[in-house]
Amino acid sequence: MSQSSTTTTREIPKEIERFNVTFRIQHIIMFTTFLLLSFTGWGLKYAYAPGGVSSWWIRVWGGPETAGIIHRVAGVTMLLDFVWHVIYLFYLFGTKRMTINLKTTVIPLPKDVFDVIKNYLYFFGLSKEKARYGKYSYAQKFDYWAVFWGMFIIGFSGFALAFPMLVSHIIPQFATAWIWQLLSIMHSDEALLAIVFILFWHFYNEHLKPENFPMSWLWITGKISTDTLKHHHPIEYEMLFPDANKNKD
Amino acid sequence: MPYKKVIFFVAPLMLLALLLPLSASAQESANCLACHSSMKGRIKAVSGNLIELNIDSEKFQSSVHSSLACTDCHIKFSDNPHTSPNAPVPQAVLAISAKISKKYPIDPVAAAACVQCHDEIYKKVLESVHGKNITQKHQTDGALCLDCHGSPHYIVPISNPAALMGRKHQVETCGKCHGNKALNEKYKMEENVMDSFEESFHGRKLALGHTKVPVCASCHGAHDVKSADDPTSPVFGNNRLQTCGKCHKGANEKFIPAITHKLPGPIPYYTEKALIFLVLGVFTFIISHVLLEAFSDIRDAIFRKGGHK
Repeated sequence: MSQSSTTTTREIPKEIERFNVTFRIQHIIMFTTFLLLSFTGWGLKYAYAPGGVSSWWIRVWGGPETAGIIHRVAGVTMLLDFVWHVIYLFYLFGTKRMTINLKTTVIPLPKDVFDVIKNYLYFFGLSKEKARYGKYSYAQKFDYWAVFWGMFIIGFSGFALAFPMLVSHIIPQFATAWIWQLLSIMHSDEALLAIVFILFWHFYNEHLKPENFPMSWLWITGKISTDTLKHHHPIEYEMLFPDANKNKD
Repeated sequence: MPYKKVIFFVAPLMLLALLLPLSASAQESANCLACHSSMKGRIKAVSGNLIELNIDSEKFQSSVHSSLACTDCHIKFSDNPHTSPNAPVPQAVLAISAKISKKYPIDPVAAAACVQCHDEIYKKVLESVHGKNITQKHQTDGALCLDCHGSPHYIVPISNPAALMGRKHQVETCGKCHGNKALNEKYKMEENVMDSFEESFHGRKLALGHTKVPVCASCHGAHDVKSADDPTSPVFGNNRLQTCGKCHKGANEKFIPAITHKLPGPIPYYTEKALIFLVLGVFTFIISHVLLEAFSDIRDAIFRKGGHK
């Protein structure tokens, strides 16, 4: 009894750590390189934009040769950042510092699909309730896994296009006739998807939304206030502070 | 005394010639230009061909050929005005003019005259796929010197951005024929040449002002250009190992098919279609979600104050 009383009287902190410093650094490297890659790649993708505007834009980045170097360096850095992230995850799981919990996992679950449906119903006024999230909403899970998709599609194709001789050794002979064209199509089309995705999805959800504008400072502090947590991640909040409501009552 | 009378005429003329700082050829050019720089339009020759009469004097003076006399190339015309175009023509020029007379029915000698200075290059051209098309197949719509370099009166150095065969304009110059549907069909040439170059990394970087990317002649050769089906062409089969290797160190057999003018095969084509489908699907979801959510937030702020959390 005395034990349970100590847990119930545990004070709810003002804020908790959501992302540790490693994740924060990985995120900073990710968005810095992403912006550099987008800015330089956009000029090449739309090289024939009217009025020579792309040629001017690329001059802003030091001309086509310098822009090409920036793009390659940023690309390799981003890939290394991704590899670091994956290795770090293996380390966290391997040492049991991180375990899979359905309420906190970033892995997509059937619940996320129902959450989407629930929210659409809410948008249309057909339901009075918005979806309740765990540690990650479906929007955040989408954001996270979009990077994985991008890394495999854009990252691999970009690496192959930047270092064709190196990659050519693993390309089977029968594929040489079409693989290069395929790689450039993949790189260019999916990069456009990634940019538009970030512009609409990530920028709206994490920057433009009234409650986040101009941005959530989480990316630099790593901290989320328990108040925000309670509102936006109620399932996680209830899991972390199961007695919070009881105390209030 | 008739002798003395001649002196009266000749002496002032000689004096005049000494006073003029112009070289003999320039003076002669000036004589021709006196009329041809002000003449406008074209006249119809007996054969029915139209002859351009106008020479832009200023442009000619800034061309690489400005120091030449008109008659250096227009060899048949010796006197002024040219009433009897029958001056003797060197054998080398005559030999070529006979071969290209179908393409240049009016004055093949002038078109062949380039050989007098550009001997080696002209012979290369005659052996190239362009040259043989004219000398052996006797076609009139194939390329020879002027089709690529423009009028000899206005040729500027290749380093000049205005040069038709310089980096800036070469692709469009070649495209006059290679982007022409009728010619592509007639000669059974690759149809996608221009589009595929534009879409390629080479073409895009060229448009952005890259100074090292290849243009047509960088890979295909210039005056000695050959059909891509010719085993001696620099873009035939494994010859590309060396051609691509000029810029791409270590170019190997798996790398050289990367650049092709052929239409995309079914795999890239359908992959692109699938990717576009995916992109549109994702756009539909995220844009509708963002707009609807913003709309519902505004609605809630106005009508449902404090109604939910």
